[in-house]
Amino acid sequence: MRGIFPHRQSAHCESGVTANLLTHHGLPLSEAMTFGIGSGLFFAYLPFIRVNHLPLTTFRIAPGGIFNRVTKRLGIGVESRTFRSEPQGMAELDRLLAAGIAVGAQTGVFWLPYFPPALRFHFNAHNLVVFGKAGDDYRISDPVLGEPVLCPAADLERARFAKGALAPRGRIYHLARVPANIDLASPIREAIREVCRVMVRIPVPLFGVRGIRLLAGQVEKWPARLGDRKSILYLGNVIRMQEEIGTGGGGFRFIYAAFLQEAAGLLGNGQLADLSGRMTAVGDRWRDFAVAGARHCKGRPGEHDDFADLARILRDCADLEDALFRDLSKQA
Amino acid sequence: MDDGLEEELFRLVAETCRVTEPLPTGLSFDEPLIGPESTFALDSLDAVEIVVAVQRKYNVRIDAQETSRQVLQSIATLAAFIRSHRPEPG
Repeated sequence: MRGIFPHRQSAHCESGVTANLLTHHGLPLSEAMTFGIGSGLFFAYLPFIRVNHLPLTTFRIAPGGIFNRVTKRLGIGVESRTFRSEPQGMAELDRLLAAGIAVGAQTGVFWLPYFPPALRFHFNAHNLVVFGKAGDDYRISDPVLGEPVLCPAADLERARFAKGALAPRGRIYHLARVPANIDLASPIREAIREVCRVMVRIPVPLFGVRGIRLLAGQVEKWPARLGDRKSILYLGNVIRMQEEIGTGGGGFRFIYAAFLQEAAGLLGNGQLADLSGRMTAVGDRWRDFAVAGARHCKGRPGEHDDFADLARILRDCADLEDALFRDLSKQA
Repeated sequence: MDDGLEEELFRLVAETCRVTEPLPTGLSFDEPLIGPESTFALDSLDAVEIVVAVQRKYNVRIDAQETSRQVLQSIATLAAFIRSHRPEPG
């Protein structure tokens, strides 16, 4: 396997890296199945946590959570390390590569030279796989790209040791022990139960459908509280978190729908296929919110695009998801 | 393929994103659609609107497997995606 890696492009870096590493080790899972088994879907609105001075809205669990849950649920042994010393971190990477091991790495997007400058931003939890070395360049499988790329050693070192929030500290990881036979049914059910729990059963107004309703209430008040300019900045940020940042659109709801469809086939459960269709419809409703919000941000609002209308769409999303996750929990 | 799809998409994008200036003549379908070099100066929020407008008009969903960034590189890549993904008539 030395120098060969089954690169596949994916919507989201962490689920893509996890799926590709599993495939490399003989367990060919799709990105959607990996995202689902990792219980990646979530919602939280945390107005007291600011990223770039804007309140944090997230549609997925914290970075690293998908990889950790997938490997734990499938009984896969993982070796993971961070480093204080940059030379030591690069030397360990070289040692693993020389042993023919494909290595996952946490990096800062801003320092990866193969992204066009316009697409680089300061995010330090970007995952990729390093699977070989050619001279002073590393062979990289970055799952958001169509093909593997080469990356100069100095740039990879800088990306692995980027400073700031979520600093990777050179973190690398690889799959050490993969069981020969893995039954997916039980991990799928456990993963579904977990997503249903966090979406409808955590009694904290910031999380799950309660968090969506909280956001709806805030969106309604933004124009009066913040003024036009800041309201539009806040709204644009929610839309970007929902439709960009590797969500596959609709705040990961379409990827989760694809997972439910696959799970329906694997478990022979037609109800899950129906729920997959409902999840796609929820994703479409989130996209209605994004489109109306985008029109507002771009200064061309339609007749029903004001902040009260946007809040109504969010409450629709919350109602749909509330009913959906309660029904889904009965299938797990 | 000369089915007029590229010209139709130009009009759809212009209408969706309310491009007010007249379309330049001799415009290439390969020019960047989104980003700082975009002919229409479109950004990621415009991209969200285009994705949904395409879904509604052509019944083609741009989602998890094909990132919209790739599909929306140009009118040509968008047209190719629609041709290969739209449902067969009838």
